[in-house]
Amino acid sequence: MSTTTTASPNEAKLWGGGKSPFNSEYGKVMMWYFLMSDAFTFGAFLISYGTVRFSTNGWPNSNEVFRSFPFAPDGVHAPLVFVSIMTFILIISSVTMVLAVHAGKNMDKQGVVRNMILTIIGGIAFLSCQAWEWNHLHSEGAWWGMNPFLNADGTASSTNFTNFFFTITGFHGFHVFSGVVINIIMLIMTLLNKFEQRGHYLMIEKAGLYWHFVDLVWVFVFTIFYLL
Amino acid sequence: MSHEAVLHGHDSHGHDEHGHHEHHDTFLTKYVFSQDHKMIAKQFLITGMVWAVLGGLMSVLFRLQLGYPDASFPWLESLLGKWAKGGQITPEAYYALVTTHGTVLVFFVLTAGLSGTFANFLIPLQVGARDMASPFMNMLSYWFFFTASVIMLSSLFVETGPFSGGWTAYPPLSALHDASPGSKTGMDLWIISMALFVVSSLLGGLNYIATILNMRTKGMSMTRLPLTIWALFFTAVLGVLSFPVLLSGMILLIFDRNFGTSFYLSDIYVNGVGALSNEGGSAILFQHLFWFLGHPEVYIILLPAMGMVSEIMSVNSRKPIFGYMAMLGSLFAIAILAFLVWAHHMFVTGLNPFLGSVFVLLTLLIAVPSAIKVFNWLTTLWRGNIRFTPGMLFAIGFVSLFISGGLTGIWLGNAALDIYLHDSYFVVAHFHIVMGVASMFGMFAGVYHWFPKMYGRYLNNSLGYIHFWVTIAGAYLIFWPMHYQGLAGMPRRYFDFSIWESFKQFAELNRFISTVAMIVFATQILFLINFFYSIFKGRKVTVLNPWEANTLEWTTPINPGHGNWPGEIPEVHRWPYDYGKDGHDFIPQTTPVGADETGTH
Amino acid sequence: MSHSHTDQEAHNAEAMAEIKKVTIILSVFTIIELILGFWMISMTSVSLKLAIKGTIVILMMAKAFYIVAYFMHLKHEVKNLIMTIVVPLLLFVWFISAFLWDGSSFRNLRNNYDPHFKEQATIKVEQKEEEHGAAKHEGSEAKHEGAESKHETAKPEPAPYY
Repeated sequence: MSTTTTASPNEAKLWGGGKSPFNSEYGKVMMWYFLMSDAFTFGAFLISYGTVRFSTNGWPNSNEVFRSFPFAPDGVHAPLVFVSIMTFILIISSVTMVLAVHAGKNMDKQGVVRNMILTIIGGIAFLSCQAWEWNHLHSEGAWWGMNPFLNADGTASSTNFTNFFFTITGFHGFHVFSGVVINIIMLIMTLLNKFEQRGHYLMIEKAGLYWHFVDLVWVFVFTIFYLL
Repeated sequence: MSHEAVLHGHDSHGHDEHGHHEHHDTFLTKYVFSQDHKMIAKQFLITGMVWAVLGGLMSVLFRLQLGYPDASFPWLESLLGKWAKGGQITPEAYYALVTTHGTVLVFFVLTAGLSGTFANFLIPLQVGARDMASPFMNMLSYWFFFTASVIMLSSLFVETGPFSGGWTAYPPLSALHDASPGSKTGMDLWIISMALFVVSSLLGGLNYIATILNMRTKGMSMTRLPLTIWALFFTAVLGVLSFPVLLSGMILLIFDRNFGTSFYLSDIYVNGVGALSNEGGSAILFQHLFWFLGHPEVYIILLPAMGMVSEIMSVNSRKPIFGYMAMLGSLFAIAILAFLVWAHHMFVTGLNPFLGSVFVLLTLLIAVPSAIKVFNWLTTLWRGNIRFTPGMLFAIGFVSLFISGGLTGIWLGNAALDIYLHDSYFVVAHFHIVMGVASMFGMFAGVYHWFPKMYGRYLNNSLGYIHFWVTIAGAYLIFWPMHYQGLAGMPRRYFDFSIWESFKQFAELNRFISTVAMIVFATQILFLINFFYSIFKGRKVTVLNPWEANTLEWTTPINPGHGNWPGEIPEVHRWPYDYGKDGHDFIPQTTPVGADETGTH
Repeated sequence: MSHSHTDQEAHNAEAMAEIKKVTIILSVFTIIELILGFWMISMTSVSLKLAIKGTIVILMMAKAFYIVAYFMHLKHEVKNLIMTIVVPLLLFVWFISAFLWDGSSFRNLRNNYDPHFKEQATIKVEQKEEEHGAAKHEGSEAKHEGAESKHETAKPEPAPYY
């Protein structure tokens, strides 16, 4: 019945109690599991979208729907261009977040501040892009319960295309927004030397996890709504 | 400064603070906004008990209607007003009562009241921690639950009544304001309440997981954890992964209700309103989303009871639990299978039959770990030196009910049989026995067993025995006949069976069931009296370890303060089930392994 | 635990190189996805389209892997943490396949037994109206009207056939 002796000594030490088996404090473990549960929230949304799409005969062509660009003249159709800019904004803000976390590990306050500011700017830029896109779609007559677009084959489309689009991108946008708020709080705490006093920048790391998760969700939302 | 050093510095600092810092507790910080896991557990327990009484009362009211469909009770009108015009419950009120009874008992009593209470109470005590990983989040978890409770309670008093479309809240009844009176404000409050409840269970669940993984005391390896902790761990995992799916489903439902979307709606014609413009949705989608939570939810309810029963049984049989690793494995298997079988609730929705057969297969697989657990409990009892405390009786009662209810699960898991039995009283009997009453028994067992630790006093044993025998006999007398009614085709959720020729034969039986239900409910009042009387006037606990158990919670003072152990947290040297070993009746986990001891776990 | 100064620097340089590498990989994958997306616009072959969509999904998963493994640092965590994250995510396999499976089965059911549903998928809307701009000024009352009038073309009166 001796189970502990069969494990390698290193492993037994990890799980033996009195310390974290993951070498990380509880907050980070909690953040990871929170993100897992959030993944199931988003997963449920996207899978619902897929289910409804699979149970419907026609579906609008995303390239016909998302083809506008700010300040472009009316006749110009540029599918995928605007959303690819949004995607790159989010990827770059994710990179600056990694750099902030990295700077935090080296106790480099200047680096943290600089990169957090860049990340916040990226987040706000993304939200602005989304606001423009929503506003533009709304001006075309799209909203919850309203779908001006036809199916790809020219038949009448149900409203579920816009319903899901606004719900899921809205929910993602809400996450980006809360991520920006969290990042601003982290920036203020850094500027107030809170983390210098604590001797570690673990909070930045946890905020970073959340921010990358938001980016991760966008990878899926972007692919599923704009490409597939 | 390196990463690891930071972590441990941080950790030990936290502990010191809990251990030596004396709080200046006011009434508000000690009893209301408490961050002590033991107080939060009691808050969960008592709120859950309030809901259990309300939910039980509702079942008495609708059993009154089912048992005496022609009688009129003037006192009902003075109690319910327009919902019982002329002393008879109206159909709307009946559906509202059934719905609220289901919602309240499943979510508020058996989820929050059961795992909320015992996860909060037992996890820090049994793993050897000062408190939860985040006491503040733990407090928030309770207050979200409390707010959800208040909102659900307020829905009982709105003019159009509480939601009345069944606890599963299937659209279109839940999605259209015009579908029924309860679908108006009552449903809005229902959704808000459930959303807050999801937040509460997430905050709680994350805390439980982090505490079990990160805060175990020295020597408390995962395989030295009591089975209660393992069960609560899997419960928390199930909750964290499945409640978000319900949340998504609810968000889509809110949009359907208020923003003109049609996620769940298609081809709807409402009397007096006309054809709705909502097109292209699928009501089955909601059922999928709901049951993706709903089935794990069944195990969220059941697993804590299983864990506590394992622990109580081993302690009171004075024998090690039989097959500790098999118990772990079956808990793990149940936790995984819980996520794979949700569509067996949907065999009659028009589910793809081939997909349905996959779900049949996966569903029937659950019988394997369940049977392993049952045999392990029985073999734990076998030749044990059994002490029949009320807690032990309830634990044995749990196993009995789990077997009786589980066997009918095999019937219902088969699509071919389920298509006949679906939505009949057979289903009502099945899930009430296996998840309702059985989990209640687990909860009672836990309360009787850990009451001395909670309040430093004993519950009255004689009242406990009466409580147990009436409840178990009553449970079988109520639900056993329902199997026959269901096989005869009697559908659930009907307001009045007396108008059908084919169900007239059951009039007598329905009256019998209703009478027993009232007796059983009255007996629960007896338990409540016992509970509240004993908190203040019960016999005092005078020894640290009244049950002579091995687990860590009995090494704390009789009335542990915030921080649990006044000195150092004890170190653990063995698994918690060394009963009747090497001539010792029991060897606590804190006793070091002797040199001449036979094989240690 | 106590790295010497040069060790620390080497470690830093290594980490920075990794961040740079992952950034480039993510950008390249995104660009490939976009190229495939543009290519798909003018494509008529259904099977080729399906193959491209499959490729895009694989690229999506690869991007997700790089974000989780390197940006979220999961690859450098203890193996146990990795397992507790990755194993539950496997539930998505059945989550996705069962939902989509039943979704498409629901479509087949409706096409077989709901003539109105099938018919709707064959009626083409004549011309795409160009006065979308007008819709936004009419306020919220107009949205239900708009939705109804759109459906009226294809739908007489739904027979309560169930």
